Amino acid sequence: MSLKWRVGIILGLIAASLWALFPRTVVERVKRNGEFVYDTVRRVPLKRGLDLQGGMHLALEVDESKGAVPDKSKAIDNALKVVRNRIDEFGVSEPLVQKAGNDRIIVELPGIDDPRRAQDVVQKSAFLEFQITDETQALEKALPRLDAVLKDAKVAAATPTTGARKDTTSAGLQSLFTADTSKKADSARKDSANAAAGTAGGPGAFSKLIQQGQMPGEYYVAQTDVGLVTQYLAMPEVQAALPPAKVVRWGSDTVSLGNRVYRPLYILDAKPIITGEFLTDAKPNTSPTEGNLVQFTMNNEGARRFRTETSRHIKDYMAIVLDQRVMGRPPVIQSAIGANGQITMGGKDLQAAQDLALVLRAGSLPVPLKVVEVRQIGASLGQDSIHKGITAGVIAVALVVFVMLGYYRFSGALAVVALALYILYTLAALAGFNAVLTLPGLAGFVLSIGIAVDANVLIFERIREELAHGKTVRTAIDEGFRHAMSAIVDSNVSTALTAAVLYQYGTGPVRGFAVTLLAGIAASMVSAIFVVRTFYMLWLNRSREAQQSLSI
Amino acid sequence: MLRILHDTNYDFIRWWKVMAGITVAFILLGLGSLAIKPPNYSIEFTGGTLMQLEFTQPPDVGQIRATLDQAGIRGAEIQQFGTNREFTVRAQNREAVAEQSRGAESIAVSIEKVLKQKYGENGLKVVRTEAVGPRVGQELKRGAIVAILLSFLITLVYLSIRFEWRFATAAVIATSHDVFTTIAFLKLMHLEISLTVVAGLLTVLGYSLNDTIIIFDRVRENLRKGRKETLYETLNRSINETLPRSVMTHVTAFAATLALLFFAGEVIRPFAWVMAFGIVTGTFSSIYVAAPVLLWIERKWPRKTGVRQSSSTATPTSRTRRSPATATR
Repeated sequence: MSLKWRVGIILGLIAASLWALFPRTVVERVKRNGEFVYDTVRRVPLKRGLDLQGGMHLALEVDESKGAVPDKSKAIDNALKVVRNRIDEFGVSEPLVQKAGNDRIIVELPGIDDPRRAQDVVQKSAFLEFQITDETQALEKALPRLDAVLKDAKVAAATPTTGARKDTTSAGLQSLFTADTSKKADSARKDSANAAAGTAGGPGAFSKLIQQGQMPGEYYVAQTDVGLVTQYLAMPEVQAALPPAKVVRWGSDTVSLGNRVYRPLYILDAKPIITGEFLTDAKPNTSPTEGNLVQFTMNNEGARRFRTETSRHIKDYMAIVLDQRVMGRPPVIQSAIGANGQITMGGKDLQAAQDLALVLRAGSLPVPLKVVEVRQIGASLGQDSIHKGITAGVIAVALVVFVMLGYYRFSGALAVVALALYILYTLAALAGFNAVLTLPGLAGFVLSIGIAVDANVLIFERIREELAHGKTVRTAIDEGFRHAMSAIVDSNVSTALTAAVLYQYGTGPVRGFAVTLLAGIAASMVSAIFVVRTFYMLWLNRSREAQQSLSI
Repeated sequence: MLRILHDTNYDFIRWWKVMAGITVAFILLGLGSLAIKPPNYSIEFTGGTLMQLEFTQPPDVGQIRATLDQAGIRGAEIQQFGTNREFTVRAQNREAVAEQSRGAESIAVSIEKVLKQKYGENGLKVVRTEAVGPRVGQELKRGAIVAILLSFLITLVYLSIRFEWRFATAAVIATSHDVFTTIAFLKLMHLEISLTVVAGLLTVLGYSLNDTIIIFDRVRENLRKGRKETLYETLNRSINETLPRSVMTHVTAFAATLALLFFAGEVIRPFAWVMAFGIVTGTFSSIYVAAPVLLWIERKWPRKTGVRQSSSTATPTSRTRRSPATATR
């Protein structure tokens, strides 16, 4: 190849690399004052991994703890669409939602600074049901059975938090089995408190934990006892003793009465009068009386059903159940309801209403998903990693330059120029192939700066040997390159093969490492062999005396 | 011209028994230590939760532990990470992992909650969370093992094509030696085995192999020249001839590794340690494992005679894809 061609190719590569790395204007979704907006940003087109720019990586699988899912792959496909819709609306720049393997969804959200919220949006089933609260006092009828079951199971010994129970000042509550007068209620409560404090394992292990609420099918459980009741309700014996054709659901908000905090527990008709599948739109709103809420609209069929069902349940209470939790307090049905309705958010902020509207719009997840892997990195930590990586890189370059110049002098200088080109080419290759730069990748890149000169070292040592054999400078250079070639090729190919294996079997950050390694190998072959060779040829052509001695 | 270790004639291989003793002792020490106590696997492999926390005020480690214990998150490891305001919390014990089969994030959520109750909403910031469910951990572990084995296999095949089976086997045995010494090193340094460390290990393998190839390439060439010398002498000559290159390359690679070790931060430090040790063990194994093993193989399965004649006829510029031994067959 003629010298002109060689120089041309090198200059062409430099130009192409500079072009690939030139900061360009991209339209991106960026966060400004808490809102995601589209904006143009100028930046170097090097993609940073989540560990460098901050963000969140989630792996989700079908949650089969509440029942087996027959066709997981199909379920995941359906769930994928819903998750993708939700993420698209959530407003993250360059999110990634993809299926991995047969039964897993990978979600990557760069730059997320509120991981908990993001995870909620992804994971929320958003299964909306409208259920009528129980009016048949089914729980009261079942209570003796429940108490007996618990007594048999010998859990009665686990007394509830009695400290709070002794506080009998909270008036206005009606204890479950006493008459309506508050005096009697008080004395009954004292009794039950005494029973709990005194004889552990006494009667009413279950019934003493719950109290009648303010509407049919509503009961109150002291906040401190919620864990215990949840535990009881999860027991198979208890579940079998619960009233048939009814479901038990917790309320979303707590109720304060006096200075005690209660969580409502609802007994609902198991069959919902309608579900969220007919929902066409949902949007957040704020009302002065009810606080934040989500207004929804149903399609024609949904509206028709809703109207028929609600007209049948006038004066009943309708619980709006989202993901098995009763939202707000069940309103009484005054008249038939049509296409529009609303869900009050209780004390939650507007963002919660926005998120709920979002997930309702995107549709409910066909199967519950559980998180099997989370990696979340704060943006500041990522920034810090970049700074440290760059510092390490600059120091590595300085050390290598020092060693090469000190030992090989003029030839070392050629190698240093080649090293600069190596860095340029590698970064350009990463940008050009849209590869992702991760922290291990950055480390690999710094390391490769130290190893990239190996090819030059091999060549220079060969040239020295040839010179020692008394060859002329021109011949020594030719022979040096030729003899060093097989070692360079063999060692680089074997490293490339290792990198390919890493790429295949690595995940996230490690994969980034493999890509950087591969790009580095390719770039170092070009810079060490082709570029340095060309430099030598240029130099030999230029000066006559150069052919007499070589600084190496 | 500045030259180091030029035209040396050390009898490296003479010391192979001593060196073998040293390296076997080191590996046994490491493996013995492994037998007593298993290595520290990162949460990527075992499942578990790792959180990196940044406090506004330097907290008391005992207090963090007590707070977590009270909340029922027992057996969490708490370590300072960089400055005295940064800590990692690692919940990796069996109960913690079992808890995560329901949802990988559950432990992380409770850790954040109880610590924020204790230190206030602005008292600390979670800068990193990694939570891996047990099943994913198993998969990643399997993937790492497959990656290491597969890279061995591929290397063996490639070297068998480029050199011949004797060289390839010796090179792979030398590289396996590096896996063992590196594992011993990891154990003795109490370093955690993570995905990044496995990536480091594979890089070390590549590096070590690279070094072995450079020496074997020279051996291949010297064999072709057909000097009247034993393989023992050829090996020694080749090691001596490549010595300046070896020193220079190790110096520059080590310089870059040191830069990583001291300046690239805590997250990457285990990787840098593996690399630093890898440069040492890779150099060592190229001389004291690959070469003696090659000698041993040659004695056990000697080459056919006639190698010398045929190789002397080959011109030095025509690089055949096959080794001299196979070329004569």
